[in-house]
Amino acid sequence: MKLTYRLAALAALIATPLPAFAATINAVMYKNPSCSCCESYAAYLEQNGFKVDIKPVNNLSQISGDAGVPADLEGCHTLMVDGYVVDGLVPVDVVRKLLTERPAITGITLADMPTGAPGMGGEKTGTWTIYAFTKDGKAPTVYATE
Amino acid sequence: MRPLSLRASGIDEHRIKAAPNHALLTGDGDPGTAVWTYNGTVPGPVLRLRQGDPARIVIENGLDEDTTVHCHGIRLPNTMDGVPGLTQPPIKPGESFVYEFTPPDAGTFWYHPHADSLVQLGRGLAGALVVEEREPLSVDRDFLWMLQDWRLTKDGQIAPGFGNMMDAAMSGRVGNIVTVNGAPAAEQPARAGERVRLRLANGSLARIMALRFEGHRPVVIAVDGQPCDPHEPEGGRLVLAPAMRTDIVLDMQGDPGKRYAVIDDFYDGLAYALATFAYDAGPPLRAHPLDAPLGLPRNPLPEPDLAKAERQEIVLQGGMMGGGKLTGVGGMMGMATPGMNGMAAWAINGMSMTGDGHSGMAPLFTLKRGATCHLTMRNETAWWHPMHVHGFSMKLLSRNGAPVPHRQWQDTVLLAPKDTIECAFVADNPGDWMLHCHVADHQMAGLMTVFRVT
Repeated sequence: MKLTYRLAALAALIATPLPAFAATINAVMYKNPSCSCCESYAAYLEQNGFKVDIKPVNNLSQISGDAGVPADLEGCHTLMVDGYVVDGLVPVDVVRKLLTERPAITGITLADMPTGAPGMGGEKTGTWTIYAFTKDGKAPTVYATE
Repeated sequence: MRPLSLRASGIDEHRIKAAPNHALLTGDGDPGTAVWTYNGTVPGPVLRLRQGDPARIVIENGLDEDTTVHCHGIRLPNTMDGVPGLTQPPIKPGESFVYEFTPPDAGTFWYHPHADSLVQLGRGLAGALVVEEREPLSVDRDFLWMLQDWRLTKDGQIAPGFGNMMDAAMSGRVGNIVTVNGAPAAEQPARAGERVRLRLANGSLARIMALRFEGHRPVVIAVDGQPCDPHEPEGGRLVLAPAMRTDIVLDMQGDPGKRYAVIDDFYDGLAYALATFAYDAGPPLRAHPLDAPLGLPRNPLPEPDLAKAERQEIVLQGGMMGGGKLTGVGGMMGMATPGMNGMAAWAINGMSMTGDGHSGMAPLFTLKRGATCHLTMRNETAWWHPMHVHGFSMKLLSRNGAPVPHRQWQDTVLLAPKDTIECAFVADNPGDWMLHCHVADHQMAGLMTVFRVT
């Protein structure tokens, strides 16, 4: 399964113009101290040019709520990266798209912990919808589908 | 003082009202945090009963919603157990209920609501219940720490979001402030040379604690109110999950004038000082520690007959993944977060009973009165679960195949991820009894079952 991720990530890397990502991107991850899939996700990001500072917290839902993540779209951890919130197991190509396009949003989220997502085990089934959210009370919009 | 007439009748009566109030949880001053209280305070008053003496506890509901009171760990008649729907109708706003029982066991217990448990406990409704021994233990001081965990917003109020699905499917609503007897990390005065009995009770919704006493060697003398063989905990670290109590004896052998922290380091990377023992500068109370025995008299618990035991097994399932494997509820492997949209996040033997208790809950198994039940509890999840049995204390037999030492009886048994526990009890108390995880979010989201004793 891990191999599949790496290949997908590699494909994404090749498909994207390289210069924008030459430098390491620093990120801070807030996660439940007992959840191990988030650590796998952090490792996946690090393999893809990010530097992830992991901060275990017991009140993750409070942190993600304060960060603007809608309660019904929470992922299993909250990542702060380059002025954006990235919640849950969002594939790295979508994170890169966000950091390149720099839309006027607070962040993006992949709710739940879908099988096959980076950091999870299993095969991907179905389509993942990654939502964009803001802090102005507007309904989340679809940012990307995978 | 109690009215003389009540004393004369031999009934020990206590009156407690559940109602909103404010509390100074952070030490930041007025107006404090809006909380729900018993008799105006968090925690509620310590209820002191005497072993073998009839007691009457009148609970008045001053809240805007139904409540009940569960006297956690006391072996009492089923109708006094405080589970709404299952053992009594809920106490409606403005109404009262009289709990009457005679505590058979001396020890450290506690009382809390069993209706809307997540919110009512999370807003502060909890208090200690001490059943005093006929002959007190020989110590210089006997005191109690009711430990409560609060999730507060930046302005010091109880954070909204009770029942959040991510909390429910992970480690529960763990908070960001821990109080000792309702106050922030406090200094506890100590005197060199004294021997103290410290009763610890974890009244948190979800926070598991692992306490280390800097410079001291705690000796455990009772767990969940039941005396055990006095012993030092493994590595000097006392693990106390929600609803668990541990009585320890500390010989205060620190230096006069010095300070010693009590550290909770259960969660990786999140250690903090829960309290500090501050020794006064005076000379030691005595030159050498007391050599009085530490063992408490045993409570009259019926001894399980393992040769004739009826075997039952419960398997804990569900929750968010851990270690790369998701075990869904009801055999589902899946996309959605367990617990989403009010769905169950957890199950026992494939069945999710959600909420606080209600009528018509079908028992998972039935025991003949007087039979010994040999109960195996298997945790298939990636999370910790303090499993609480109502109405009984269970003798711990083994954990992951290794015998449990020190003759421990518990009403709340902590299972680490993937743990298997074997325990036994005599089903001597008829009724429908709850067995559930005491992480309140887990209970509400399905980690609960009922068994019947005929």
